[in-house]
Amino acid sequence: MNLKRKWNTNAHGPMQIRLGHVPSDEAMNPESQEGESSRLRTVLASVERLAAPIFLLPAVLALLFLSVFPLIASLYASLTRFKIAKGGFSLAFVGLDNYKKLFLGSERTHFLGSFAPSTAATWIVFGLVVITLTIFLARYLSNARVRRAGSGLIGRILLVLGLGTLAWVFTHTLWNGGRLGTVTVTIVYVFVGIFFQYILGLMLAMLTVQNLPGRRFFRVVFLLPMMITPVGVAYMFRMLTDTSKGPFTPIWQAMGLTDFSWVNNAWGARTAILIADIWQWTPFMFIVLVAALESQPVEPLEAATVDGANHWQIFRYITWPAILPVSMTLILIRLIEAFKIIDLPNVMTNGGPGTATQSLTYHAFINWRALDVGGSAAVAYMLLFLVTFFSMIFVNLIRQQTVEKL
Amino acid sequence: MKSKNTLIRVLSVAIIFGVLTTACGAPATTQAPAQTEPPASTEAPAATEAPATEPSAATEASGKMFEGVTVNLLTFVGPQVAEPLQRRGPDFTELTGATINVITVPNSELYQKALTDMATGTNAYDAFLFAPSWIVDFAPAGYIEDLTPRIEADPAIEWDDVAPFFQDFNSYDGKVYSIPLDGDMHMVYYRTDSLAEAGLEPPKTWDDYLNVAKTLNGQDLNGDGEPDYGSCISKAPAQQSYWWIWSIAAPFIQTQGSSQGVFFNTEDMTPLVNNAAFKRALEIYKETGQYGPPDETNQGVGDSRGLFISGRCALTMDWGDIGPLAIAPDSKVIDKVGAIITPGSTEVLDRATGELVPCDATTCPYAVDGVNYAPYASFGGWAGAINAAADDTVKDAAYAFLSYMAQPAQSNADVVVGATGYNPFRISQFENKQAWIDAGFSPEAADNYLSGIEASLNSPNMVADLRIPSNQKYIQVELDRILAEYIAGNLTTDEAAQQLYDAWEAITEEVGRDAQLASYKATIGAK
Amino acid sequence: MVRHWFQSKSYNTPSPVGKVLSYLILGFWTLLILFPLYWLVITSFKISSQVAEGPFYIPFVDFKPSLDAWKYILVGDLSNDTLRTFRNTLIVAPTSALLALMLGSTASYALVRFEYRPRVGAILTFIGCVGLSILAIYFGVPWQIAVAVAIVVFFIVLLTIGRRFKRALGNNDIAFWMISQRMLPPIAVVIPIYILFQRLHLLDTYTALIITYVASNLPIVIWLMRDYIDTIPIELEECASIDGASRFRIFWSIVLPLAIPGLVATFLFVLVFTWNEYLLALFLSSANSQTLPLVIAGQNATRGPQWWNMSVLILIMIIPVIVIAIILERYITRGLLIGAVKG
Repeated sequence: MNLKRKWNTNAHGPMQIRLGHVPSDEAMNPESQEGESSRLRTVLASVERLAAPIFLLPAVLALLFLSVFPLIASLYASLTRFKIAKGGFSLAFVGLDNYKKLFLGSERTHFLGSFAPSTAATWIVFGLVVITLTIFLARYLSNARVRRAGSGLIGRILLVLGLGTLAWVFTHTLWNGGRLGTVTVTIVYVFVGIFFQYILGLMLAMLTVQNLPGRRFFRVVFLLPMMITPVGVAYMFRMLTDTSKGPFTPIWQAMGLTDFSWVNNAWGARTAILIADIWQWTPFMFIVLVAALESQPVEPLEAATVDGANHWQIFRYITWPAILPVSMTLILIRLIEAFKIIDLPNVMTNGGPGTATQSLTYHAFINWRALDVGGSAAVAYMLLFLVTFFSMIFVNLIRQQTVEKL
Repeated sequence: MKSKNTLIRVLSVAIIFGVLTTACGAPATTQAPAQTEPPASTEAPAATEAPATEPSAATEASGKMFEGVTVNLLTFVGPQVAEPLQRRGPDFTELTGATINVITVPNSELYQKALTDMATGTNAYDAFLFAPSWIVDFAPAGYIEDLTPRIEADPAIEWDDVAPFFQDFNSYDGKVYSIPLDGDMHMVYYRTDSLAEAGLEPPKTWDDYLNVAKTLNGQDLNGDGEPDYGSCISKAPAQQSYWWIWSIAAPFIQTQGSSQGVFFNTEDMTPLVNNAAFKRALEIYKETGQYGPPDETNQGVGDSRGLFISGRCALTMDWGDIGPLAIAPDSKVIDKVGAIITPGSTEVLDRATGELVPCDATTCPYAVDGVNYAPYASFGGWAGAINAAADDTVKDAAYAFLSYMAQPAQSNADVVVGATGYNPFRISQFENKQAWIDAGFSPEAADNYLSGIEASLNSPNMVADLRIPSNQKYIQVELDRILAEYIAGNLTTDEAAQQLYDAWEAITEEVGRDAQLASYKATIGAK
Repeated sequence: MVRHWFQSKSYNTPSPVGKVLSYLILGFWTLLILFPLYWLVITSFKISSQVAEGPFYIPFVDFKPSLDAWKYILVGDLSNDTLRTFRNTLIVAPTSALLALMLGSTASYALVRFEYRPRVGAILTFIGCVGLSILAIYFGVPWQIAVAVAIVVFFIVLLTIGRRFKRALGNNDIAFWMISQRMLPPIAVVIPIYILFQRLHLLDTYTALIITYVASNLPIVIWLMRDYIDTIPIELEECASIDGASRFRIFWSIVLPLAIPGLVATFLFVLVFTWNEYLLALFLSSANSQTLPLVIAGQNATRGPQWWNMSVLILIMIIPVIVIAIILERYITRGLLIGAVKG
């Protein structure tokens, strides 16, 4: 990275925005100096000095108005209840009622899932998770450099608590008659989906960067699924997975499954959605990984081949470390997008059977459709927390990576 | 010193900015793609004369020219229901000069789109074609226009010809708020040939229904060598389940006439769901799934309708659409379909004990041959309402169009065609069997179909949709979700009934029990 | 001989066996991608009974193709909706992508070249003033006055109280904040945005959609462009500056031309996102500004999903983006998607 990438700076102005080196007036335009009035030059110079805020401000404003403020307004909305009133509507303040409903009240099984009694397996798995987290925290604390209760410690405690709670919810809803709620279903969609998307994307990318005739064709074709509107993909897969009229009907019937439909089975329905999701988003992983693989410096690879390394060794010791930072960022970006999944559950299964395939956005969406604006905002906020939680984990992982490399 | 300079500069910028932007005038209403620009296909010719192609259609009440007026009409995506509007729009434009802009959104978004539009004062839509049960939310809030004076001044709409039930259903608090274009009633349709072959009678009770379904399930009903289904009743979430269940439950719960009500206890507004009758209905509903297609839980009524028309089901429950659809050219069951009033029950609910008791003269005063029927006019039929906040000329034009669509000349032609999605709602449409025969029904089929509807409409024990405030929450949110969970096997019958009871009680408490009770009693005509 | 099959000629050329395997896998995946699209194409030539009665695979052999769906969509009853919404999508998507590109590239250039140290006090004051102006607008104050007053108040407060708080944020924090806006689920902010546009009388216009799409895609642009601009050597700009060019001039004449490959790639990325967007369009458009994905979703009518019509609509939407995909691929081949790569 080019270290010298910032301009020489002079402190200036109330915001202490350091601008680039502004040459003195005389050096600016020697020829036109005579025609220019000094006032015009002063104005130009001021505009020049304001260049920095001008460059950044539109973007900042756009984000402020359309992301930050609506978010705050939404936070307020999540503390209210919507009512139709004469000539308009009203938002009646109800405090944390909407959130209480999600965690403790009538929406609990919808949101968190239906809890099953603990079995031995539950305790074992949960115990393992707790032990891992405790070791993690203990190691951090015993690290001599870190003594103060700084943001690092708080962050890690939050992390441990968050992961522990999720583990608790998962172990109690995944088997023994428990049912997953929208939170856990969303997490399943995200992580299982990304796992397969990455593996497939990587494999395809590695095959495509080889010196194969016709690889350009493959690259163009592999890009296609990502380009189709998600609603379109959802309907397409609904058609494809129809076991009575779709193209795979003969196969389905040959397997003797005529009377069985995946829509009646919670995991069957989720698998169908995962298949569609993986089909659509593998190209995203694919193209970025292709770019990454192609921009690897060639010398180490050639040297390794000359030295007699086989493919696996080349991959493990040269390629993988090179694409690791890119992969992490890629997964982070895809992670953020994946949490917002809605079109597929909405179109393919209407969220069913029961509520088995509903994602968090879908949950918020049906609340909103019923004009339960407060409830919708509450679910959306929980989604936001969840996304932020996992993104922070990843961002810190990435930071650790880049720090360790130096 | 420097800060003072900055301050002066900032002030000047601010002032210049303020002046400039004020001078530039109102923002983007002019940037909007010209709202009055009519879409190409409905471009109004500069009509200086109105060729009165259909004399009865030239509505006097609509006045003469609505030249240049555009009416934005919101409904859901067709082709059903929207198509006749789109088709007749240009005709109306020729007659009056007004352009009808039909805007469609997915069915599940219709309610909130309409409500958000009016509640936030956006008023992008001038008229709606939606479910009349929603007028109980919109009318008290003053969102939709009271149409009674216009109807009284409009002889062409022949309001008296509209069946009394539909007149009531489109009114609230004694005033008419919407104009019906369609009449909705559940009926059971059966394959006359398959049942005759098996020696079975069309089902009179729900037990009969299950019996017929079980017997015919797995037989080949359409001659293609594949086994077919005994019963096709769709069960997907967010579709129609919350209507089917009431067709099943109503005959168990309501016996003393429409003013007894089927949803709530008229004394204290407690839901009538945590009792033996509703639980039996749940079980019946679930059991029909055993005799249906394996992916029935992901099907909507469109799918089950399609299956019946292609000959794959022995029985189905549906609105009136199957009648005309069955005689359409691409139907595989032409002249093989019979219609019957939705099955009733020989056991009914004793509201005091919550248990089922046999039908006799006191418990079932309206029973026919010992069977209590309670036909469910679910959904009530697509009806047109007008946004009260629209301009007066626009409102007049919108009313004129709705009236035009509802008048016998147009309506009679539409209800006999299955693809329109409009079903009969005028008395004359039941009585004039010739129109049906002309459309392709055989006389027997016309007789059978229309008498099925008539029997339902004339029943004193008819059930209408729940029409109290927040009915959408009761039915389309809570009931739908619990039904979906129940069908998926995640809840037992008792759990489902209990959860529904609790959920409905929570809503009633939130909205106000007394207000809801008063509203409920008003809508069913209870004392 | 057999060993020869397993030997690769160079690090990048696979052995013959490797070639066969590669083609098998790649071919399989191609089939996986193309088959659904093929199904889509043939469904668009079917009529309802041909869909309902089970799968037919090959036109003219299994079933008789018909142009009914195409006619219905393009010239028949739905053509009004189709053409209008297609036009809307054609207007909204490229415009918002372009605008996002402009705002985003200037912002990322600034984040790379300039050093910001906005103090926390300044930021909070800024947000506070903007927030107050919004509240004022909400309560009916004409927006020009509210904005002007807010600007003045901001500077006054800044020059007095704002000086007190010394703690400042850096470039990376700003960049991080911008990119993290992508985490925002649109459903969380839809109602406030709806009300915002309603107050501005911008509902159901292109403007509302374009602005919203710009804001939601800015993070992507900044992410992709930031490291791309990083690779442009700063010496060029310094030379120009010494010669007397203003900052804007440098950006416009030097940086942008050098960044064109990255700009094009980013533009195409964002274009795909805005072309296919459904949820925000559903909320923000009522009649005139509906986009094509809404029409697709609407084909799920009460008569059952109209698969044939839907297929036609999806195909209409895909064809332009296929062209985009072909162009985009070329830029990847040239290794120019560096912004994404450097992470």
